[in-house]
Amino acid sequence: MSADHARYHRQTLLPAIGAEGQRQLGEAHVLIVGSGALGCVIADALTRAGVGRITIVDRDVVEITNLQRQILFDESDVDAGTPKAIAAATRLRAINGAIEIIAHVDDFNHRNAERLLGDADVIVDGLDNFQTRYILNDLAVERGVAYIYGGAVATGGVSLPVLPHADVRMAAPPRRLTWTDAQSTPCLRCVFPEAPPPGTTPTCDTAGVLGPLVMTIGAHQATQTLKLLTGNIDALDRRLLSIDVWSNEWRRFDVSGARRDARAACPCCVEGRFEHLDGSAAGAAITLCGRNAVQMTGAAETSALDLDAAAARLASHGSFHANDFLLRGVFRDERGPDGDAIELTLFSNGRAIIKGTTEPELARSIYARYVGI
Amino acid sequence: MKVDVLLFAQLADAVGARSLSVDMADGATVDDVMTRLAETHEPIRVMRETIAVALDERYVGEGTRVRDGCTLALIPPVSGG
Repeated sequence: MSADHARYHRQTLLPAIGAEGQRQLGEAHVLIVGSGALGCVIADALTRAGVGRITIVDRDVVEITNLQRQILFDESDVDAGTPKAIAAATRLRAINGAIEIIAHVDDFNHRNAERLLGDADVIVDGLDNFQTRYILNDLAVERGVAYIYGGAVATGGVSLPVLPHADVRMAAPPRRLTWTDAQSTPCLRCVFPEAPPPGTTPTCDTAGVLGPLVMTIGAHQATQTLKLLTGNIDALDRRLLSIDVWSNEWRRFDVSGARRDARAACPCCVEGRFEHLDGSAAGAAITLCGRNAVQMTGAAETSALDLDAAAARLASHGSFHANDFLLRGVFRDERGPDGDAIELTLFSNGRAIIKGTTEPELARSIYARYVGI
Repeated sequence: MKVDVLLFAQLADAVGARSLSVDMADGATVDDVMTRLAETHEPIRVMRETIAVALDERYVGEGTRVRDGCTLALIPPVSGG
């Protein structure tokens, strides 16, 4: 028995996979965007399953608060301040040296999205914000690539597969993974047309998150990916999964009518406007010269941000105070690259100034984790 | 007629309930139910444009009529991960 044969034996015993499915996995390329809790679980499962190439993109470094749920990291990564993409790749290569792991320490955005996608067959979502998710969704629809959305906060999570309709796909070389029109699904924006306004949605940093919840959602995303890559498209769970592991609710919703019944025609998969991928809907992160600060303007500006509620959510992370116009405070445990404390000033329209760093990537990360988008 | 409403994820936390019940006039639509709920529950008003609505576990548009005894599920997008 060859090493590869033995490694994947228990998986190839499954009739739906077999030797042919294993061969398909070995030829496949998966892009995982975000290597936080979900990304770790997904990457671990796909690495062990023998997906031939896995690209991982993440902009953050490993912190002690990650270890409760981010299964590819350990204390040595925290001590060394290792970027998550690098730490994940090191661990994954130790698990399976027979596959290729490609790590990018980068902020995934509309400028680098198409380059990072390459010839990936499936995009799997390990993100922590909707702004970037809509870029993934645009990218998937424009290029005709499958996309698996997942999200998890506190004890509740959701997941949705997207097999884009071909109507608005750009002319491009055919991809390995294809599906029929009848197998196509609504896209993320058909189901969730608008991102939550900044500051209205809880994040794992403000509301907490249960470790096994993200393992459950990540496992579902990985299973969906394995079905697609082995040609078992009809076995895909096409419903929107919504679970709460604490109140024991597991529900699946048929969203097949979402593209037709949406409040307005989907700008992405019906009208072919890729406003997140072309950058026209992007929020800006601008370094403020000479001030050791970055200004963030939200993609979805709001006029009604509840600053008192935002201050309450941030109370366990430092001293934050709100008045009628703005919220201001300093994070106890966040530091810029020079060791400076990170100060947040958040205005009621969602604009923020993040002081203590000149790095837009760090500012975006702070905004996504503590303000929430 | 009576319509049961289930709330999910952060919407349940923000409203402080996992389910609600509303009395609606005959002929009411999903839009009517959402408008009523938005009047009495600020988090639903704030999140309304972002919420996916399912009628008896099937996604529906806001023009869909509700029926006595039906269940509406209000599912907000979940951001973290």
